[in-house]
Amino acid sequence: MKKLEEVLEDWEAVIGLEIHAELTTLETKMFCGCKLEFGAPPNTHTCPVCLGLPGALPVPNKAAIESIVLAGLATNCDIEKHSMFYRKNYMYPDMAKNFQTTQGPIAFCMRGHLDLDVDGAAAKERYRLDDLAVGETEDNITRTEDGYVAHVGITRIHMEEDAGKMVHVGGGEGRIAGATHSMVDYNRAGTPLIELVTEPDLRTPEEARLFMQKLRQIYLAIGISDCSMEEGSLRCDGNVSLRKRGAKGLGTKTELKNMNSFKNLHDGLTYEICRQAEVLEEGGIIYQETRHWDPSVKRTIVMRVKETADDYRLFPEPDLAPYDLSDAFIEGVRAKLPELPDQKAKRFAADFGLSAYDARHLVENLDVAAFFEEAMAAAGADALTLAKPIANLMINDVSAYLNAHVDESLGNLALTPARAVELTKLTAADAISSKQAKEVFAAVLEEDKDPGVIVDERGMKQVSDTGAIEAVVDQVIAANPDEVARYKEGNEKLIGFFVGQCMKQMRGQGNPKVINQLLAEKLSQA
Amino acid sequence: MASFATMDVASIQAGLKAGEFSAREVAEDALARVEAADKQVHAFLEVTPELALAAADKVDAARAAGTLDACGPLAGVPVAFKDNMNLAGTHTTCASRMLENYVSPYTATCVQRVLDAGALPLGKLNMDEFAFGSSTETSAFGTTGNPWDLSRVPGGSSGGSAAAVAAGMCTVTLGSDTGGSIRQPGCFCGVVAVKPTYGVVSRYGVVAFGSSLDQVGPFARTVRDAALTMNALAGRDPLDCTSQHVTCDFTANLDKGVDGMRIGVVPEFMNARGLQPEVKAKIEEVVAKLEGMGARIEEVALPNVHAAISAYYVLGPCEAFSNLARFDSVRYGYCDPGHKDLGGQYEASRSRGFGPEARRRIMLGSYLLSSGVYDKYYYPAQQVRTLITRDYAQAYEKVDCILAPAAPRTAFKFGEISEPAEMYLSDMYTISINIAGNGGMNMPVGLGAQSGLPVGAQLIGPAFKDENMLRVAAALETVYGAAPVAPDFAPAKAGE
Repeated sequence: MKKLEEVLEDWEAVIGLEIHAELTTLETKMFCGCKLEFGAPPNTHTCPVCLGLPGALPVPNKAAIESIVLAGLATNCDIEKHSMFYRKNYMYPDMAKNFQTTQGPIAFCMRGHLDLDVDGAAAKERYRLDDLAVGETEDNITRTEDGYVAHVGITRIHMEEDAGKMVHVGGGEGRIAGATHSMVDYNRAGTPLIELVTEPDLRTPEEARLFMQKLRQIYLAIGISDCSMEEGSLRCDGNVSLRKRGAKGLGTKTELKNMNSFKNLHDGLTYEICRQAEVLEEGGIIYQETRHWDPSVKRTIVMRVKETADDYRLFPEPDLAPYDLSDAFIEGVRAKLPELPDQKAKRFAADFGLSAYDARHLVENLDVAAFFEEAMAAAGADALTLAKPIANLMINDVSAYLNAHVDESLGNLALTPARAVELTKLTAADAISSKQAKEVFAAVLEEDKDPGVIVDERGMKQVSDTGAIEAVVDQVIAANPDEVARYKEGNEKLIGFFVGQCMKQMRGQGNPKVINQLLAEKLSQA
Repeated sequence: MASFATMDVASIQAGLKAGEFSAREVAEDALARVEAADKQVHAFLEVTPELALAAADKVDAARAAGTLDACGPLAGVPVAFKDNMNLAGTHTTCASRMLENYVSPYTATCVQRVLDAGALPLGKLNMDEFAFGSSTETSAFGTTGNPWDLSRVPGGSSGGSAAAVAAGMCTVTLGSDTGGSIRQPGCFCGVVAVKPTYGVVSRYGVVAFGSSLDQVGPFARTVRDAALTMNALAGRDPLDCTSQHVTCDFTANLDKGVDGMRIGVVPEFMNARGLQPEVKAKIEEVVAKLEGMGARIEEVALPNVHAAISAYYVLGPCEAFSNLARFDSVRYGYCDPGHKDLGGQYEASRSRGFGPEARRRIMLGSYLLSSGVYDKYYYPAQQVRTLITRDYAQAYEKVDCILAPAAPRTAFKFGEISEPAEMYLSDMYTISINIAGNGGMNMPVGLGAQSGLPVGAQLIGPAFKDENMLRVAAALETVYGAAPVAPDFAPAKAGE
């Protein structure tokens, strides 16, 4: 199979996403008073309504409506004042009523969009980006200095209820194939769910991944869901089709399921794009089908073929009156909108002189952003000079540490904003080298001490005193006449060797800048 | 000894207050009447003596403590419920094999409100399967006889509810009405039968047929008893978001008479083909009586009402198809044994668990909602609904209440009507009111000249003004008297 970049030479991928988020931060279910709790013993949070017992009726959860309106406002959607719930009829044991209550043609939120900043490695998947000049716009993207901005349309966000959870017993790994019987846990049945559907505006797996990441950041910022992809409170299906470069029509699409991590989303889409290209290039045809991404074998597998469109017999839910949202309600929700990640990033860039890239990465995680703001407050007059080093510390060291230690969270680390300021101040004042700073960072986490204390205890002062360094430099030049000779013959790479020798003598505490400078001077004179 | 079950609410409560008898005696007497009369009538699907006696003992304890008044407006009154209403710990079968063994874990709001009002629950009443029918003949558990003539149907679908009151087994019963299922059996059995405006009574816990059409209401032998029950039933229920705040006292206007009221008569109704002459004659007599009491009779037009049955047989089956989807054999209800695949189990269980009329409506709804068909039927039916609702609203600009037949004829014999489409016509005078949503009731106005069977006048009120029709009914009651217990079941008078 060809690689993605080769495929994208000839083919354009058209990708749309359907993203379900459970409103896990609510107290109760969508249409009854049962408690929302992940991991409770099976069927302990149920009642006549979510069990679909004869005669039970739904009553909408107003807080859930608030949440979806909040989501709509945060994603630039129009809020529809008049919308209705519909019944989507199909029979399956995980849905006690055998219909899912969802929305019809008009959802609470319609016609939104998100702008994605795509840069660095992510921008490389975009076909012939370099043909565009900075500031130039083509299709839905605008070229930027280090990548592009993609304008991605959101068709709608609608409200619906989740089904129960099926557990198949007797087959392999809980699969239905080979199972001897199945059980249903209705704790999840009736969990408020919002489904966001994008326009088919995405063109690369990276864009899809970035969209999903950005949406997750927004949902976390507005506090409507814990957005746990592992626990399934944030789920993503993708629709993919290919068309020849320059073609306008749409090819037959497949629907991808089980992309339950950002990596799986990217890898699943990548595989599917390459698979479709191979089929098409061999003269085959793509069937409209649902495929399952299996990360263990890195392939997508057919789940079911859709010969005809499913007939869900959608009709307005007669047990629920049409929903009329007042302006006062919508404005009330708007007033609850917190600062969104994009706004925060803009503010960080403007207030602290950060690059757009740094600012964006700082706001990816709410805790990191809050930590950074506290550090800036603690830095006081030094905030502007320390902003970049602290951002680097957060984006590189802290993120790497947290990625490697999934059980820990920023709040539990021994690194406090004050300690981050102290650490970066030491580096900025050349008191320790950047290499030493890494050691101090690790020691702070390990020993829960202030950076200054660690530096003192370990005698890690960086030596910037020219006299002391000069003596070492002289000594190293004298001790290595052969290397000096070769250096003078033009082998300038040897400067690294001399720096290393000096550092070794100074037990790593010499200021590399001063050493470099003195070496260059002395060697040219030697 | 007089039979308490044939007394009205006021006389039961007066007797209790005066210490003439206890609530337990009322319950025991009513249960004994059920035991005796129901062998012939078969109105009950389940009798609940323990619940009735326990409720009676509570009333008696209150009586002993001098707090009888706090027991509620139906204290000591024998009642029973249509078997599509959940009462925790009892069966809710909907007269279907599908739910033959289903015991409900919870209680419907309407049932709870009647119990909270101090009533004595005697049991659950027969009906057409899932309320699909107009004769109670589609019940999976046998037919119910009309107490006026046991070879005739009691009407339906709330046939058991009407027959239980007509046979003097209960003072009050509850039924549900989707297209006439309270009013038409009320008419056939000669009892007061009220379908309130949609939204007046909570539907929570009543097994749904057509969610946008269903409404619960009382059967009684006097207008006042029906109105008292309405007071207990009506009002907002947080568990049914289509229920409304209702604060009126339904008994307030009963003694006001009809002097000065404007009462509408609909030519389309009076001249309809299929209206039996004896029924037409009775309704014309009622018109004259009302006029005689000072009412102003006005002709009103309902130009779109002819389309009501067509719209109803689109909307009703569509909602029923979806509402009945939950009966899938998986967690409760009839499960055909031995199937290895889900589809096979669904198909066999639903084919065998549902009777023919239920299957017919499910199939019809499934077809009408399918893609490509939906736009041709469901959508126009909703448009018709809008037009009919507007027709009624415009009519009520001219009149305070409309008078019509409750049914085109008196009770028919078992098996007499076998064509579904012909059966559907027995609801020709009631269906449009469910479509529009306003309230309607049957008021017995004596016996047909030819058949000797009860004839009912239907009084139709403006939406959320159900007190209007009760006021007219109470005026008619002064002329025709309270509904009698059917002669064959009338208790021997004291001393006889």
